[in-house]
Amino acid sequence: MIGNRAGAVAAGVLVLLCQACDRTPPASRPTDSAATREAAPAAPGPASKPEAGQTAETATPPRAEPPKAPASAPPVKPTVPDRVKQPASQTTTPPTPAAPTPASPTPAEPAPPAPTPASPPPAAQTPAPPPPTTPAHAATLDLSSLEKRLRETKAIGVFTKLSLKNEVDDLLEQFREFHRSPDQSSRAKLRQAYDLLLLKVLSLLQDGDPGLARDVSSSREALWSILVDPDKFKNL
Amino acid sequence: MSWRTKVRAAIVSMPILMAGPALAADDPAVLKDLTAVIALQGQPCGQVVTATKQGDNDYAVACKDGSRYRVFVNAEGRVVVQKQ
Repeated sequence: MIGNRAGAVAAGVLVLLCQACDRTPPASRPTDSAATREAAPAAPGPASKPEAGQTAETATPPRAEPPKAPASAPPVKPTVPDRVKQPASQTTTPPTPAAPTPASPTPAEPAPPAPTPASPPPAAQTPAPPPPTTPAHAATLDLSSLEKRLRETKAIGVFTKLSLKNEVDDLLEQFREFHRSPDQSSRAKLRQAYDLLLLKVLSLLQDGDPGLARDVSSSREALWSILVDPDKFKNL
Repeated sequence: MSWRTKVRAAIVSMPILMAGPALAADDPAVLKDLTAVIALQGQPCGQVVTATKQGDNDYAVACKDGSRYRVFVNAEGRVVVQKQ
């Protein structure tokens, strides 16, 4: 009994192995050859829709290939007549593999690109917040560091710095007056004086310290918001 | 006049002779600074061509347009541009 079972199992295993051996070559080769063939026609033929037809076509020829492959090796020399039919595809198969691999991913990629265009809308929505971020960034401006940089810059001489400081003090005094009795007309005048003073500073800095000039210019609105806000102004 | 006296006179006069040119602030940075100050004060000048230091933070300047100013820092710490 045991011997019969073992023999049956061995026979079964042999049958399975034989079947596996028979299946593996056609199964693996068709896929590979299909890929190469898809690429080969894809390179010469830019038609996009034919891909489905080509895949169907490639499914049938792969089995015919294995026998022809050895035969194609010698006929390589008479390429002129054969290029029109199959040898061309076979001879070109070596170069084509490079193209096919990208060609096959590209059809697969179109799916991802579709999501990416779908994602841009959220990206377009994110840019909307940036405008708020810019003022926020400017609002986080470090006044002390800006003041320190203005004190240390060599783009402005000592006398000029002192003169600017006087003007800043005068302007701050005007802001104090404004906060005691807020008035829109005085606010407009203050804005004018503020812009003029900032313009002076920028004109002095732009040649000698462009970086600081840029930072001062970018913080213009943030500084103004601080000066105009009574609470923020008190904390200065 | 003895030799020693001549030497002493030379030693004493040297700093004075050397200090004279030093009072004239020909440093381009100083001239530029004074030019900027005068411009900030809204006074006509164009460009400061010469500046003579009269003391700490006190200059007598001559402008390219011929005008003259005294630029100094007063007791309150304010920069004053005084036309002369």
